[in-house]
Amino acid sequence: MKIIELEKHFGQFSLKVGGLYIEPGGIFGLIGPNGSGKSTFMKIMAGIMEPDNGKIDYEGLNYRDMTMVSRKPYFLHDTVYNNLIYPLRLRKIKPAPDLVDYFLSLAGLKQRQYAPSLSSGEQQKLALARAMIFSPKLIFIDEAFSNLDMESVSVFERVILERQKIAPATWVIISHQLSHIERLCAHAGFMYGGRLEAVGTIKEIFQNPENPLLKKYLQYMSF
Amino acid sequence: MVQPTYSEVLGIIGTTLTMALLSTAISSVLGTIFGLALERARFPGKALIVRINRTLMGVPPVVIGLLVYMVFMRRGPFGFLDLLFTIRAMVIAQVLIITPIICGMVYSAADRSAGRIRGFGRTMGASRLQSQILLIRELGNEIYFAAVTGFGRAISEVGAVMVVGGNIRYKTRIMTTAITVLRNTGDYSQAVLLGGVLLIIAFLIQASADFIRRKGARADENY
Repeated sequence: MKIIELEKHFGQFSLKVGGLYIEPGGIFGLIGPNGSGKSTFMKIMAGIMEPDNGKIDYEGLNYRDMTMVSRKPYFLHDTVYNNLIYPLRLRKIKPAPDLVDYFLSLAGLKQRQYAPSLSSGEQQKLALARAMIFSPKLIFIDEAFSNLDMESVSVFERVILERQKIAPATWVIISHQLSHIERLCAHAGFMYGGRLEAVGTIKEIFQNPENPLLKKYLQYMSF
Repeated sequence: MVQPTYSEVLGIIGTTLTMALLSTAISSVLGTIFGLALERARFPGKALIVRINRTLMGVPPVVIGLLVYMVFMRRGPFGFLDLLFTIRAMVIAQVLIITPIICGMVYSAADRSAGRIRGFGRTMGASRLQSQILLIRELGNEIYFAAVTGFGRAISEVGAVMVVGGNIRYKTRIMTTAITVLRNTGDYSQAVLLGGVLLIIAFLIQASADFIRRKGARADENY
């Protein structure tokens, strides 16, 4: 996926990303302080928000090949089952019972539970399961692990890495848990004040940061 | 007024229900389409249109009745249709009264949550048509409540239907206009009795609609 000269303006805030290439099949982490423009950037990449300028080359993929999970995901006023299989239903794919059972057990939920009244942690697990069930090629995750306990985070990390072997997808993950980015991602970018200040391998970002803002951010986050 | 016979009361109830249900059904479709279209549309003067609709939500029914009367009276522009003093003219007047109410309620609900629902649809890979279906489905509660409000208005209306329907015995007399006639003739006990029947009918119809709607809609609630 190629991002070219992207711009978005909201009053005082402006997002400007000159260029970024995310390797197909890779897991890319996006870090930065609150208000740095990560979520806006992700919404534009996921096609939910239109940029004022610039473009994104999805290299042949379209909106049906991608999905996004936000920190507060939306759920149909319906059961866990109907929420889980919703992306399959949109694509007229008959849900395989084994696949449904696998994702239900992964999320630790029952089919007939009412999705909108699940706890926030359960909702995040359901949203992650729903995002993976139709094997999209591009998956955007915006702090979707923030309400999960350590055990669930570890389970989902393992599942993501396992599924990368079965159905490789390009992932872009925003997280304030830097250890999580370090474990999952091969590359990462650091955003500050609406700009993509640094991009590199995980080693370059976390062990040998050259950008002074990134250095300061990592020092702050290590406390 | 001569006391209405049992068969006449049944006829009045039938006319009342025909008019109220038909006008609610037509207004629900129109109000939902206009409400969703208004939310979706972006044009200069939209705020003015919203304000005009809000004004129409509170317009005195007798004014609408008068306008419909002038349009369909013999010398009026549509006098040749010969609709005055028929149930169809009463339905037209009711639709003009109820549609802005349903439109306003659907617009308010859509304005609050349509962006989020459409964004969700997009992240799930929904097409434009699928997103619209999703929106209507997810706003189901609000649309239903708007329709119920419209029905309440239709079944209790007296001013407009009196003007355009003429309160003709065995033809366009409905429960509210019959109550007015009974009051004018000093037959208060019959008027109160008919009022009670009107309330019971309204209650039974709304309870049945609630029952049909809720049946199977929700699975287990989670506590």
